[in-house]
Amino acid sequence: MRLAPRPRLLLLLLLLSMATSASCVRGRYRRVLWNEPVDPAAFAALRPGEDTLETCLQALGAPVRVVEHRVDAGRRSGVALAYYWLDSSSWGISVSPPRSSGVSYRFDSTGADLPGCVLWFDQQLVLERARAGMVGALLPQRRQPAPVLDDA
Amino acid sequence: MKHSLLVVSLCLPLGACWMGRAQTNEPLDAIKAAQLVPGTSKASDVVALLGGPNDVVQLGRRTAYQYIATTEKSAGLWLFALALTNVDARQDRVWVFFDEHDVLTHIGSTFESHRAQWALPWEDVHAAEDAEARDLARPGVGQ
Repeated sequence: MRLAPRPRLLLLLLLLSMATSASCVRGRYRRVLWNEPVDPAAFAALRPGEDTLETCLQALGAPVRVVEHRVDAGRRSGVALAYYWLDSSSWGISVSPPRSSGVSYRFDSTGADLPGCVLWFDQQLVLERARAGMVGALLPQRRQPAPVLDDA
Repeated sequence: MKHSLLVVSLCLPLGACWMGRAQTNEPLDAIKAAQLVPGTSKASDVVALLGGPNDVVQLGRRTAYQYIATTEKSAGLWLFALALTNVDARQDRVWVFFDEHDVLTHIGSTFESHRAQWALPWEDVHAAEDAEARDLARPGVGQ
């Protein structure tokens, strides 16, 4: 049986609608913006050995994360500030064959690490160094538990 | 006519758009944060003014309190089998640092939660002048 062009188009539309309604094939384009990047000029103007925690907080605002840095035997510590943000676009497609049981395929191009910068301060809270890059590579992934302060 | 109705009725359920908003914690009060005085305020003053912190970080003998609030606005569009989504999240953050005697030594603040916007993924909505206009409308931030 041969169909005329218009019914054929309708049949095609019907099949396409059925396939998409049943969620067989789904595509997505997603953009995620999370926080604002620090001002590159303000970051470039930081001077290790001269800037302090106070001047850096004034220049860059509040960090996302604060961690200990170089704790000595007397429990004196420096500080590391981490700033990070995200502006990423990703696309993906998922295919779920309707006749299979629990079989699906999914592709996602989203990255894992976040761009940002880290500032390290010594025990006197003077800037030691500042680095920009992927924050996961700049900072340790796990934070050590703080020691018990039994003589505080 | 019958065919057109069929096509329209098939297409109607396939297209949709949505907008969402998620708020994590109350936006921080910039006017209250400005009342904190390094060298004078104590941890108890900070807690009385800003409430309990979201996190307390031990820094050797020092400590730091984190206050944070996030506004997230999402918008999306379904076109047949393609979903176009945009998520815009902005934060208010205040970090206060104390010495070993719980006296405030440093404060760092960023107030941006009011800048989150609904948009589609290809739109660029964070122009500097737009951020300035929004800052001016928020007490304690743009003035």
